[in-house]
Amino acid sequence: MSAAYAIAIHGGAGAVPRAALTAEREVHYRKGLERALDAGYVVLEGGGSSLDAVTTAVRILEDDPLFNAGHGAALTRDGAAELDAAIMDGRQLRAGAVASVRHVKNPVELARRVMEKSRHVLLVGAGAEEFALEEQLPLVPNLYFRTAERVEQLEAEQRGTRVSDLVPCTTGTVGAVARDAAGNLAAATSTGGMTNKRPGRVGDSPIIGAGTYAKNGVCAVSATGHGEYFIRAVAAHHVCTAVEYRGLSLEQAVREVLQILSALGGDGGLIAVDRDAVPVMQFSTDGMFRGARDARGRREIAIY
Amino acid sequence: MSHPFKPALVCLLLLAAPAFAAAPHPIALVIHGGAGVIERTKMTPAAEASYRAGLAAALDAGYAVLDRGGSSLDAVTTAVRMMEDDPQFNAGRGAVLNHHGDAELDAAIMDGSGPHAGAVAAVHHVKNPIELARLVMEQSPHVLLVGDGAEEFALEHGVVLVPRTYFRTERRERELEEARKAEAARAKAAGVTASGTVGAVALDRAGNLAAATSTGGLTNKHLGRVGDSPLIGAGTYASNESCAVSGTGDGEYYIRQVLAYDICALVAYRHLSLQQAVHAVIHEKLQRTGGTGGVIALDPAGHMAMDFNSPGMFRGARDSQGKRVIGMYGDDLK
Repeated sequence: MSAAYAIAIHGGAGAVPRAALTAEREVHYRKGLERALDAGYVVLEGGGSSLDAVTTAVRILEDDPLFNAGHGAALTRDGAAELDAAIMDGRQLRAGAVASVRHVKNPVELARRVMEKSRHVLLVGAGAEEFALEEQLPLVPNLYFRTAERVEQLEAEQRGTRVSDLVPCTTGTVGAVARDAAGNLAAATSTGGMTNKRPGRVGDSPIIGAGTYAKNGVCAVSATGHGEYFIRAVAAHHVCTAVEYRGLSLEQAVREVLQILSALGGDGGLIAVDRDAVPVMQFSTDGMFRGARDARGRREIAIY
Repeated sequence: MSHPFKPALVCLLLLAAPAFAAAPHPIALVIHGGAGVIERTKMTPAAEASYRAGLAAALDAGYAVLDRGGSSLDAVTTAVRMMEDDPQFNAGRGAVLNHHGDAELDAAIMDGSGPHAGAVAAVHHVKNPIELARLVMEQSPHVLLVGDGAEEFALEHGVVLVPRTYFRTERRERELEEARKAEAARAKAAGVTASGTVGAVALDRAGNLAAATSTGGLTNKHLGRVGDSPLIGAGTYASNESCAVSGTGDGEYYIRQVLAYDICALVAYRHLSLQQAVHAVIHEKLQRTGGTGGVIALDPAGHMAMDFNSPGMFRGARDSQGKRVIGMYGDDLK
């Protein structure tokens, strides 16, 4: 069992109206998910670490304008992209996160630098960008992140037409969880947050225990959905404590937290992988862009 | 003490409290003013008296809210606001300074009956960050607002901003200078005092738990660094189902371990007593990873814990059973 490895990814959960997602667009989404899933899997297959696998997968989703993270992120009420990301290494519970950054091309990489090169876990705003420069990560103009579709989406939202952050291209967010052949678990999450959000609003993604968590021997979790509910429920860590303290299966634990979130009034989804490399992908919304691949031959991409 | 019951009846009900559902709910408040190197040998009698007075003022003001039937949320807000205004503690005025010489403040509050929560991080001009955290909880659909966006929200809600200089004190400027020198010398800062942070947890007559934490973080911290205090689950957590916790210590360790929530999960799922859960998390889990600090915690029955693995922690507790303690050293009553 120790040579088992697996990765699961998500590209956001929410209302995915079939009408808004034409056949052609659906193909694009599937391709984007495949690229990220397979690139992450290749890292694991080559004996690489779960940390590298989730970084690789999330970076690809950040670069893909279809997903709400990095290039093509949802825009704040003043039209800017404001990005959050976190990464966690289940080995020693090391973690790094950034929030409210406006000029960092790949927030997940900056989160990883925070984990590896600073004595901190969470850096926000201008201070996080200062750290990026100290680490020689080039900054990009905020315009880099803006796509025509996200501008259109923001305008529609501001006119009062409720639109989904998922399509165009809902509640967005991308994430990955992996277990490598050495048994190490890792999780990463990256997001632009909600369309038309208040500047400075931080959701669950960069909050360790809320949107992102990994602990070796227990599980790795990345969440997507209505962030405020995931923060109050400490959702990702709830899943891990349910597995560790109560002996629930990962799938039971994930279902339970989704029920708790629904009772509070919050929807979304979670991907997770347990110590035996079994991926779980569950959601309480219409759909969740997702994919999973493992060493036993499972390879799955799904939306609805 | 105003009380809706006749004194004789109260005595009877208090005696029977654990078994008697109709008994008036116990009330309790526990506060902290930071954990760290707090040792008798490093404290002058005058400094000690001043810390005790500051803790007593916050404790009694918060307790008075509970005693007159107020909510746990109002009690923790009151106690924390007073410690924010007291320049001896690392929160609000007198907060430690970041690398650039500015106070950069974080705070969170959580209502265990919701769960509802609000938090702010990296604000530079908000006199009482705990009040802004409460506004985020009560007046916004969000939980966490950071930086300029949080201050914009403050202005939109009529909160008066103060200049950065309001927060600076001579003592903190001196500490920053020392920390910078120590950094330049690549040496660990010697004789660092409390790692600061203030917090409170309360149980009100209706049985609701609440927790609040406020801090200036670490001296000489990187611009934008956010610790555990404003992160729900890490430094602050409250649920009527399990417990309320406020932490103080090496924030990064608290974040990674989701420490406050972990204590409550051990109470809820492993059925540990509050004291056992706090002991396991502070003296086993946190200790094992090399982190230092402490927590204060309360459960729905009014059991309290104040524990730390640092040499000391500024703390105080008061309840309706007549307990009232103020402590700071390791050998004071926990």
